[in-house]
Amino acid sequence: MRKPWQPQQPRNWWLRNPAYRRYMLREATALPLLLYTLLLLAGIVQFSRGEAAFATWLSWLQTPAGLLLQGIALAAALLHAVTWVALVPKILVIDSDRLRIDPRHVLRAHQLGALAGNLGLIVATLWLLWPTGGA
Amino acid sequence: MRRSHEPISWSLFGAGGMLLAFIGPGLIVSTLLLAWLVQDPQALYATLHSGLQHPLVRLATLAVIALPLYHTAHRLYHGLHDLHITGPTWLLGGVFYGGATALSALCAFWLFTL
Repeated sequence: MRKPWQPQQPRNWWLRNPAYRRYMLREATALPLLLYTLLLLAGIVQFSRGEAAFATWLSWLQTPAGLLLQGIALAAALLHAVTWVALVPKILVIDSDRLRIDPRHVLRAHQLGALAGNLGLIVATLWLLWPTGGA
Repeated sequence: MRRSHEPISWSLFGAGGMLLAFIGPGLIVSTLLLAWLVQDPQALYATLHSGLQHPLVRLATLAVIALPLYHTAHRLYHGLHDLHITGPTWLLGGVFYGGATALSALCAFWLFTL
């Protein structure tokens, strides 16, 4: 018979300590990011239904609710990116006899990768859409 | 002893977290920019439609939806535990990981029947 240990911990355990609050804020980034992913999924559904439905989805992006969701999701994504990259060298430890990489290099590589990925995507979007936007 | 699902769920969580860190903010800025850049939705539809003809583009699009779904499901599932919101494991696991799987499967269906 399984007897799970019942933790003696108040429900608001994370409110007292600033480090715990930061931890909960980091975990909470998942909620706006989930809602944003559902917004993108809705875009795929609308896209599959044709041109008019896709144009409707584009107009959803510009409603106050859509802009609010994207704004909160952007803040969450930035916090997620910063905290995630900072944790990578602690989880991705490359320290074997065959290959040894300094954690500082692992961190630097991921910082540069994240910067290049995000900026590259924005530049690609601008480059792809600038001519059609002007037309 | 039953085999744990933890390696699979953590791999998907990790992959989703890495993807969101590398392109998440840029993707959101891009959809925000759509409002100002796109004057002609038909032209954008045509561009995306021709791009999505390639199976690798469809696969990449699926990854951009499915991996963040698993990532956020994993964090919210464990976040409920942190908030002392408990329930049967099969129910909570079914809602979060099952939900992410169902939505990913639907996304794959919509993408590959375009």
